[in-house]
Amino acid sequence: MVSARRTKPKTAKAKAAQRGRKRPAAPGGEALSLPLIALIASVGLLIVSVANALSRATVAPTSLIYWAGLLIIALPIFYRLSSKQPSYRERLGLVLLLGLALYGVKVVHDGNFFTFTDEFVHAFNAERIAETHHLYAFNPMIPTTPRYPGLEGATSALMTLTGMSSFGAGTIVVGAARLTFMAALFFLFARLSGSARGAGLGVAIYTGSSNFLYWGAQFSYESISLPLMVVVLMAFAEREAGPVQRRAPWTLLIVLGILAITITHHLTSYGLALIFVALAVLYRVMKIERPNPWPLAVLAAVTAVGWLLIAARSTVGYLFPVLGDAVEAILNTASGEAPPRTLFHQASDTAEQVVATPLPARALALLAVAVPGVGMVGGIGQVWRRHRGEPLILLFCAASVAFFGALTLRFAPAAWETGNRAGEFLFIGLAFVIIYGAAELLRSGPNLQRRRLLLTGALGIVLVGGTISGWPWDVQMARPLQATADGNEIDSESLALSKFAGDRLDGSRFAAPEAEARTLLHPGGQVAFAGQGPDIEDIVNTGELEPWQLPLLHENHLPYMVTDRRLNSGDAIRGFYFTVPGEYGDELRQKGVVHKFSRLPVARVWTSGRISLFDLKDRP
Amino acid sequence: MRGHRDLTLASLAAVVCALVAALVPWELIRLVAALPLTLFLPGYAIVTAAFYERELAPPKRLTLSVAASLMVLVLGTLVLNVFPFGLRTASWAVFLPLVVIGVCAWAALRRGRPSRRPRSLLASLGRPTARTAVLVGAAILISAAAVALAQKPLPAKNADGFTVLWMLPADSREEAVVVGVESNEQDPASYRLEVSIGAEGQSQTEEIELDPGEGETFEVEVPSPPGSRRRVVASLYREDRPGHLFRRVTRWLPRQSTFP
Repeated sequence: MVSARRTKPKTAKAKAAQRGRKRPAAPGGEALSLPLIALIASVGLLIVSVANALSRATVAPTSLIYWAGLLIIALPIFYRLSSKQPSYRERLGLVLLLGLALYGVKVVHDGNFFTFTDEFVHAFNAERIAETHHLYAFNPMIPTTPRYPGLEGATSALMTLTGMSSFGAGTIVVGAARLTFMAALFFLFARLSGSARGAGLGVAIYTGSSNFLYWGAQFSYESISLPLMVVVLMAFAEREAGPVQRRAPWTLLIVLGILAITITHHLTSYGLALIFVALAVLYRVMKIERPNPWPLAVLAAVTAVGWLLIAARSTVGYLFPVLGDAVEAILNTASGEAPPRTLFHQASDTAEQVVATPLPARALALLAVAVPGVGMVGGIGQVWRRHRGEPLILLFCAASVAFFGALTLRFAPAAWETGNRAGEFLFIGLAFVIIYGAAELLRSGPNLQRRRLLLTGALGIVLVGGTISGWPWDVQMARPLQATADGNEIDSESLALSKFAGDRLDGSRFAAPEAEARTLLHPGGQVAFAGQGPDIEDIVNTGELEPWQLPLLHENHLPYMVTDRRLNSGDAIRGFYFTVPGEYGDELRQKGVVHKFSRLPVARVWTSGRISLFDLKDRP
Repeated sequence: MRGHRDLTLASLAAVVCALVAALVPWELIRLVAALPLTLFLPGYAIVTAAFYERELAPPKRLTLSVAASLMVLVLGTLVLNVFPFGLRTASWAVFLPLVVIGVCAWAALRRGRPSRRPRSLLASLGRPTARTAVLVGAAILISAAAVALAQKPLPAKNADGFTVLWMLPADSREEAVVVGVESNEQDPASYRLEVSIGAEGQSQTEEIELDPGEGETFEVEVPSPPGSRRRVVASLYREDRPGHLFRRVTRWLPRQSTFP
């Protein structure tokens, strides 16, 4: 598979002879063709959709249906990719199919609304661009996001040209980015490893990255910036592999990519700058004969820092405290001053009593870390022997080691998210190194068929385990946001409030628990504050009206106050769905969270029982 | 661009797609036109201008075309944002074809004399066999069914239904209120709505029957003597528990408009 040998260019005569020959049948008479695998993948997608439908219907299906669907999508593709038979194009087709089908799993999770935490925020930005025709409109939830308008700007183009909603246009844009990501990663790995088979397996391994299935597919700026980063890396690899006089076209793409990433996502732009700086240093230290890429490093660094200082200063207050807290948490946990975080623990302490991740699932998630570990140990020596003169590949090796270092951040309470986010970048290097471990497993010899099955199973474990560790167990399948009763559509309480606000109170400003604030942003289209900046979180959680609370709402011009007795309204992942008694969402806050406003008294303008909307400016 | 059929076609396609997307009222047709205009043609023009014809294999060319189109969209937002008209249908419909035509013209200049007809991206994919067409067609249909199922709200009998009561001033004069009752219950339900105005308890009662997903609104006059404010209370009772207050909303008219 992955080999250092170079084949000589084929002569016309040899090519003609090869055309006349049929490919030898694979051992075991493999009947899996790309169209057939596409059909199987679509059946898998349908099964996932059925599992989600049963879950939305509160029928409480076994999650085995969902996992079976996921594996039906992926396993035939993994198995086919492990074969020597497929051509370069078929492998490319397989990885595109894999990317499309796994994106389909995210799409069928919620077919009508954005429901992932960051999606509400970015959809609000996109709608604002479409309404105001300009960038940088204020976002109350994450004020930094409008300062990186790449995704929303691109989405608004499709919205204005088609009349589609941000949901439809965003789904298409992220889907296009995802397909680009799969193809570019394939080309990158193929160029660096010299093997299409290795490249296909490398991309398949990457799908086991914990954020690949859901987090990385949501309508959020990273979902487009990461694919663009991979395109830039691919262009760089192609540029370095080609003749010096043909570098300009690739350089053009790299420059366009750097500029686009700079205005799309802060972390990706810093990561890309770091990669080019590291490459420039390695080129210098290793005395690489090709031109040093320092101009690209300078461009990436200057644009990232320039954008931060000129257009996105709020990023400093948003991002760096998180990174600072992460460093502090690591130090505290390492020194024993703070207890380590429990794995598979829910991040939100206001969340409902969620179903804990079952033990077999935890075991699978841990196995999904161990399997790449074994693959890396098996591959890194090979990579070192064959490619130690290639700076980009050395960076990949460093990333693969750093990935396991980043995993330890999951034990530090305030650092787990940093480790989780870093993982999807570092996993690119890890996937590349594992290609060589997989190559060792698939060397020609006896029991090849069994070894292929073993590899397919291992990839399945990495995919399922990665998905389990990347998204909470209890929301892997969809919950009802809309339902039907007597043939008519009914909405969840949060959704009903957001529709009311959009229809009747358009242009107002709200203070709300996390869940309602998000649905008020989108699809409600209103300015809604939640969380701790300003401290709305404590206002919605405390049963007594404390002296600072009304002045804070006044200072921030928030006349509309949403109170919600449902405990899980403080949960940005689960709070906006229907309550299902005995299953989820039925724990209540003390009555005082509502009564403290009705006792003032101020007008209560909307109520669903558990959720009430007060107009603080309407009083006796 | 004379003699460069691919570049002429790309430029023409950009103009036609922009016109269709900007002028046709039907969303689906606009989408069909907007997809190549936004996600393919700008990148295709750039890749064609930057690379020689034989330098890139079709799959790589296609991938880079989509990637470069995304980059153009992202960077285009910055460009259009500079102008007072900003990011509108018309501005995108002009900007994107301009990019495509401009870059195609540059590509034609770089190429010089027309060469022989380049192989189109579609032709490079080859003609599918009947078996392939059937399998892929079935896969597309099944995937579409999966997405359609995901979009369909379903009965969720175990989910908690609820009823919404709300009240807002009817208009800016604030001489009347609109009271709304909306059922998101699992079953049809009957209610009694009482709206009382002022301390003297002048009230109005309505009997309401609502199916799930149904709502009703009522406009109630709130006569206020000049200079005075009146409290309006809407109370909702379920028919099966007539003595038990189910929902209540309140207002004072005219609105105070100051924080407590």
